[in-house]
Amino acid sequence: MLQDTPSFDGDVKKLDEGSITESADAVLSVRHLEIGFNAKKVIRDINLDMPRGHVVALIGPTGSGKTTFLRSVNRLNDKISGFWTKGSISLHGEELLSKDTDLLELRRKVGMLFQRPNPFPMSIKENVLAGVKAHRLAPKSQHDEIVRENLEKVGLWKAVQDRLNDSPFRLSGGQQQLLCLARSLAVQPEVLLLDEPTSALDPISVEAVEDLLRKLVPEITFIVVTHSLAQARRISDHTMFFYDGKLMESGETENIFNDPQMPETQYYISGRMG
Amino acid sequence: MSIVETSAGDAKNDAEGRFQPHLLGRRTPIAIVSAIATTVPAIAVIAVLLVLFSKALPAIKYNGLHFLTSSAWNPGNFYANPVVTNGVEHPILAKYGVWPLLTGTLESSVIALIFALPLSVGAAFIVAKKLPPRLRSLAGTFLELLAGIPSVIFGLWGALTLGPILSKHIYPFFAHHAPNIIFFRLFRGNTGNGEGLLTSALVLGIMVVPIIASTTRDLISAVPRLTEEGAAALGFTEWEITRKVTFPWISAGVIGATVLGFARALGETMAVAMVSGAVLGTVPHTIYSTYSTIAAAIVTQLDSALTDATGLAVETLAEAALILMAVTLLANVAARYLVKRVSSTSLPIGKGL
Repeated sequence: MLQDTPSFDGDVKKLDEGSITESADAVLSVRHLEIGFNAKKVIRDINLDMPRGHVVALIGPTGSGKTTFLRSVNRLNDKISGFWTKGSISLHGEELLSKDTDLLELRRKVGMLFQRPNPFPMSIKENVLAGVKAHRLAPKSQHDEIVRENLEKVGLWKAVQDRLNDSPFRLSGGQQQLLCLARSLAVQPEVLLLDEPTSALDPISVEAVEDLLRKLVPEITFIVVTHSLAQARRISDHTMFFYDGKLMESGETENIFNDPQMPETQYYISGRMG
Repeated sequence: MSIVETSAGDAKNDAEGRFQPHLLGRRTPIAIVSAIATTVPAIAVIAVLLVLFSKALPAIKYNGLHFLTSSAWNPGNFYANPVVTNGVEHPILAKYGVWPLLTGTLESSVIALIFALPLSVGAAFIVAKKLPPRLRSLAGTFLELLAGIPSVIFGLWGALTLGPILSKHIYPFFAHHAPNIIFFRLFRGNTGNGEGLLTSALVLGIMVVPIIASTTRDLISAVPRLTEEGAAALGFTEWEITRKVTFPWISAGVIGATVLGFARALGETMAVAMVSGAVLGTVPHTIYSTYSTIAAAIVTQLDSALTDATGLAVETLAEAALILMAVTLLANVAARYLVKRVSSTSLPIGKGL
């Protein structure tokens, strides 16, 4: 991965608790987080605050731990054997990495969009309502309205209003991903985790998804793992650079891309790594 | 080489200059082999039907439509001089009816599925989802071993072990406590020595389990992880994931597997012949009754049928076989229809996801 790279200064300045301004507006706070699988440590002592109502891009080379981190926020790694965490992730001060955490409620508040569209084997309408029904968020009489509202939000209503009871698998990949987004939005999450959400989509669909994210802030905080630096630049307000399980650098996207402080960041965003 | 051009084949431009590729492609060795491979099964099915039909023709003429509804199974008097009816030579007093065998075949197979389907699907989910990986492959191996056990061994086990145990310790309880009302009435009455409808249906059920379970297990493991994770990430409970995502995803396949199992049960011969009690002329009136199925009757009656000098007994068995084949084919057609209906509503199957 790192052939031909100049050796980095071993003594990299670490972000620690003190250097982070405790912001009341942080939706997610991470303190001394360590994550691993069996003996392997994937995330090493991360501290960060996710500003509310923004798009935050997590960038970094493959294997830097950003996806593992993302999937730990909604506890999706729990089922993987050997998975462990240490430290804390909290949502509005509420600890998420506790055995008492209500996972179902956590996942309603923190939704997720995946690398590839993953509609459920039910009609388009039922897909949008899947989470609403699971969490009993609305009486049946409001279901039609919820379907319409969320499909309109993602710009899919016109295309599918006449075939709400059809299979979602006949939609194009981009439309399927928008449907999955509508499904996530229908449960009114506070945070939406996006794991390379556009990596399987055509350029037009990528643009549609990106435009949507910009439209949906600040009601929802988006945390986007992306391998596309251009995308991170286009859509995010804040960028966090992960490297080798550590959070190397974090700040406003403009600053990270125009004036990176760490040599690794410089190296990565110049496109010579990853 | 011509392989590259195969798809173009004998294509040509038509009168208006439109290009139309030749449907079957050029006659390359691969095309010839695949043509043979695709036609052989079709020819085999048609040939079997034709041979059976020609063999059964005299019996069809003699037995008439009555064959389907009659309960008699009387080969007639082989020692008296044969007589001729409808142009068919037959032993005097010969009278055949397949009705008890047909109902026996369907009843035993349906009861077998009632036991096997929930058991198989449950086992498949446990093997695929609940067991730790090492146990998973071990359990899978045993499931496949179960499918490989010769049916005569199941028959022996059913006749010598399962049947006697059930009739001594389990059946009497139901026989005494079942209420005397419709349906439950079937569970009352003499439980016999263990040979009969319920015991053979249970044996059949056990034989069908590996067919349905191993297919279902493979289907479950083929459900995209991302889809199930998506459901978890939306706040579904594990049960909701299974019920709303995993099961609908595989349901068309489970129907297909069930029909495979049903066809197996319909045609299963040896085990049923050994556990059914081999009674030909009566429709089972309780769930413990001795009975027979078409397949079991053919194997148990063939020897004596061959002593019928007029050949009618053997021809009648061929006619019964023809009916068994028709039933099996019907089940397959019905399954295709079902699978199509299920998969056209919401499933990705056959849609090139």
